[in-house]
Amino acid sequence: MRAVLAVALLSLKEGLRQRLLYGVLIFSLAIMTFAVLVSGMFMRDISKVILDFCLSAISIGGLLIPFFLAIDLLSKDIERKTIVTILAQPVSRTYYILGKFIGIALLTAVTMLVLTCSAMVAVWGGKIIYGDIFFTNLSCSAIFISIGLGWLGILVLNAMVILWCCLTTSSFLATMLTVATYFIGHSIDDIVRFIASDTPGVEISASIQKTVHIAQYLFPNLSVFDFKLLAAHGIIPPVNDILFCALYGGAYIGCALSLATIVFHRRDLA
Amino acid sequence: MAAGLFFPLRVELSMPDLNIRGTVQVDRLGKKYTAHLFQKKVKALSDVTFQVGKGEVFGIVGPNGAGKSSLLKILLGFIRCSTGTVRVNGLAPTCLSSRSSIGYLPETSCLYANLSIHEHLQFVGRVHGFTNNDIRQRIKCVLRQVDLLHAGQKPVRNYSKGMAQRAALACALLCEPDILILDEPMSGLDPVGRQMMVDLIFDYNRKGNTVLFCSHILTDVERICHRIGILNKGVLEAVIAPDDLPQPPKTMRNKSPLEAFFLEVISRNTEEKH
Repeated sequence: MRAVLAVALLSLKEGLRQRLLYGVLIFSLAIMTFAVLVSGMFMRDISKVILDFCLSAISIGGLLIPFFLAIDLLSKDIERKTIVTILAQPVSRTYYILGKFIGIALLTAVTMLVLTCSAMVAVWGGKIIYGDIFFTNLSCSAIFISIGLGWLGILVLNAMVILWCCLTTSSFLATMLTVATYFIGHSIDDIVRFIASDTPGVEISASIQKTVHIAQYLFPNLSVFDFKLLAAHGIIPPVNDILFCALYGGAYIGCALSLATIVFHRRDLA
Repeated sequence: MAAGLFFPLRVELSMPDLNIRGTVQVDRLGKKYTAHLFQKKVKALSDVTFQVGKGEVFGIVGPNGAGKSSLLKILLGFIRCSTGTVRVNGLAPTCLSSRSSIGYLPETSCLYANLSIHEHLQFVGRVHGFTNNDIRQRIKCVLRQVDLLHAGQKPVRNYSKGMAQRAALACALLCEPDILILDEPMSGLDPVGRQMMVDLIFDYNRKGNTVLFCSHILTDVERICHRIGILNKGVLEAVIAPDDLPQPPKTMRNKSPLEAFFLEVISRNTEEKH
């Protein structure tokens, strides 16, 4: 366990030193400031507009971690051979994968925590500028649950990043596969529903239906972790939904990391 | 095959035999690579057999592409061998307890550019399970040894080639390993850096530890090693002690005994193949 924690801490430190992280934070903070200023143009739903912008900024900020930093921390680790520094020590490849995942998860958590604090400041700023009357529906619990489940969704994507990095030898290919996973993960639910709806005049071939059916089980359904809309309206999601998300996310992460470990054990690090 | 596929997480828990600590045994080792998909396999190592005893300095020399680095990577468990067996400290290279007593210096410094050497050494100490106080003392000691005490907190990206090489050596030395494996330790170093590396290897070996290294710089190898293995095109052509090296022939008067012997072995092998 100490090896896993040591690798996680090393990855977190390396991630926090990346300049890209500061770019992500500045970009997200700019969106939040913009949200406070723009929301005044809306006669009603000022709190909804501010929260929509802020939660989206947190989501984007968190998402850029798997797309750029996670791939950089893992795939480039193999390309630049910095992995040798870790694996020359008594660290098994399983511990390496777990340590990297925990390190990237912590990095995502730190980023999202900073952005959540900024979002709270933006909401507080909105309250001062536009008055408390527009913020009666605001629910901090709903906001935190939405951000927490969003973090879990990003962890699922991080686990997929690790799997792609273990399967491929190029960081570019790993990035492309992660982007594909993200888009498939967010649209698969809608596509399945569309196919099941039997819309008149629309014919879908059996092969496409089968492909979608397989993709539904292979790729993670990332839309289940999206509770931004409910949070913007101040609605706390049902406990069953939260538990389902937690179980689904945990199971998917477990499967992806187990597969990544099996693949990584069989790989030559020449 | 099935066991390798379905149970790759197995960790060997057997303790190393104290009589074979600090030893390396390589028996009929072979390695074939596939450079790209659908390409023919290339032989990197073929039927390599040798042993390194405790407290010995064993050098491997050979031309570029001879398979020196592949051999070291197999000893560390980074790549798997195709045939044969390898034992380090009496255990398989993938075994964690075997790796806990190995220090490895890669050919090029593979440290994280944004982290300081102090942070790298902290990581190594934590992995080995040392206490915080112990880690602090070991870091101070090892940084003094490699003359980097003044630059311990600087990010590695600000280091010169020599400093980075010494920093990587510090990582290898922190846990006071029984076996030190060095891949081209002198490459790219200035004469002062080279002398420092040689002194460190001497000091380390004087404590009864084993050193296994590969290098291009034959004069250094001749000076340091108890035995030298000559690797050519994946085949271990000869293993010889520096004292047993024949005097160079008249045509090679300007060469050292090892240089002359090395060139002769390589050219003989090339002629035989033609």
